[in-house]
Amino acid sequence: MVSFQSFIIDPEYPMGMYIHVYEAEAKDSRIKERGKAGGAVTAILLYLLEEKIVDTIIVARKKHGLRGETYVVKTPEEILEAVGSIWSVVPYTLGLKEKLLSPEVKKSVFVGLPCQAQFLRQMKMFPLLESDFSSKIYLIISLFCMGTFAIESFLSYVHTSYRVSPDDITSVEIVKDKLLIKHVKGELTISVDEVLPYLQHGCLTCPDYTGVFADISAGRSPESESTLLISRNKMADKIIRDAASKGYIGIREASVKVIDNAIEKSREKILRSYKYVSTLI
Amino acid sequence: MSQRTKPELLIYDFGGCEGCPLSIIRVIVQLSQIVNVSSRYLGSVDLNRSYDYAVLTGSICLDSVRHVETLRKIRENAKIVIAYGSCASVGGITLYARGGQEPMPEHRKFTSITKLIDVDYSIPGCPPAPQTLISLLSNIKQGRGYFLDLFKASSYTSKLSGFDLIDEIVLTGLCVGCGACVLSCPTNALQMIEGHPDLIPEKCIRCGSCTVRCPRFSQLLMQRAKLLEKSRILIRGVSGEKHG
Repeated sequence: MVSFQSFIIDPEYPMGMYIHVYEAEAKDSRIKERGKAGGAVTAILLYLLEEKIVDTIIVARKKHGLRGETYVVKTPEEILEAVGSIWSVVPYTLGLKEKLLSPEVKKSVFVGLPCQAQFLRQMKMFPLLESDFSSKIYLIISLFCMGTFAIESFLSYVHTSYRVSPDDITSVEIVKDKLLIKHVKGELTISVDEVLPYLQHGCLTCPDYTGVFADISAGRSPESESTLLISRNKMADKIIRDAASKGYIGIREASVKVIDNAIEKSREKILRSYKYVSTLI
Repeated sequence: MSQRTKPELLIYDFGGCEGCPLSIIRVIVQLSQIVNVSSRYLGSVDLNRSYDYAVLTGSICLDSVRHVETLRKIRENAKIVIAYGSCASVGGITLYARGGQEPMPEHRKFTSITKLIDVDYSIPGCPPAPQTLISLLSNIKQGRGYFLDLFKASSYTSKLSGFDLIDEIVLTGLCVGCGACVLSCPTNALQMIEGHPDLIPEKCIRCGSCTVRCPRFSQLLMQRAKLLEKSRILIRGVSGEKHG
């Protein structure tokens, strides 16, 4: 019998259904050596691979400029190599089916964005085709997302306004209300409001900030360098706690202030979505 | 759970390739643990009694009075009607049959059952994997959830296909390029070109899987359903008053 889990997107439950919200940091020295802030998601992935709970991890990796590609990771070394290049600026699932259907893949983790978590969850709960391949996905991790960029126009804007070549960009992150663009010659900080017109139109209608359809949602904590982890079911909560008890991550219950901040952003995205969707009907 | 307390479920096929009812047969044991199943394959169909759920498959030939009457009767006798599979829910490939085509069919028109009666939940898929029916019954029992709302919303439409996806999501600039549609297409009619899907028209069987998988199209369906719920207009057929 299917165990029931409710998935909702509603202003009354802006972060969806969840069990716990943690603030977490990587404790694993191999991640800390690479100098990445937070790093809790990488540490959990490391735990899942090293404990042989899963055999494959699927993430999007930066290819060139802001382009990404589906990247299949099978060893802890590959995960550590990918630290810093795991890419969440564009949703990217091309090639996912072929990679998952490979006989070598038996149990995998998918790390992606809320929109991807939504259709993979639907695929798992309601397989509409005999050929659906989601049974191999053991865990879905969604990264917080305020929207993704219409790549060409965004890159053109950055290039024209700030003389940063698309190929030189190494990472794009949202830090508080600023967009931090790291490139080979330095860093560039732009206010989020300034680049809002370059978000994809479809992202403006999306109501999901945290990824309510995922097992675990993860994003940067507004208060510190730690990672906010939301466990949405018992299995996900056990994975987080086990990773902590084995020394991969350090966790503590998130403060009310931090949770309120995530709720506020989630509600903001839902309301933005209502506004844009109402113009489309 | 005792035999008596289990809900009664009817599986009835209105014609087509039989893929949907055959698919359900694969989970008949699992299904029988949560509902009492009446099916032609089990020799237990009785259209003169009431059911908690009616799972209807196949599209309706409008020239067949017998089928239309049977559909009306099932609607009157069932608390919850589920249009299961692409033909029943959104017409599927039978929408291409419009009469006078060589060598067959002679029938003038096939349509989804959602066009004829008020349906509570509509599940596209050609055929849906049988686990879907188990999940749906579980969700209905709990009475809430995003996907339940989605399949309720899709019962308010009688046509969904790759053509609609391109028109309403890609050409309007709502596509974010997540790839859900391409990964869901059973005939590879959709392919990703420059980060967005493109349709090969000849390959689209109008199963509707891509549209209910697309996060943006799902949203549109649910928003429209909210408006239509208040003023549901049936093209023809029974009034479709809800039971229970």
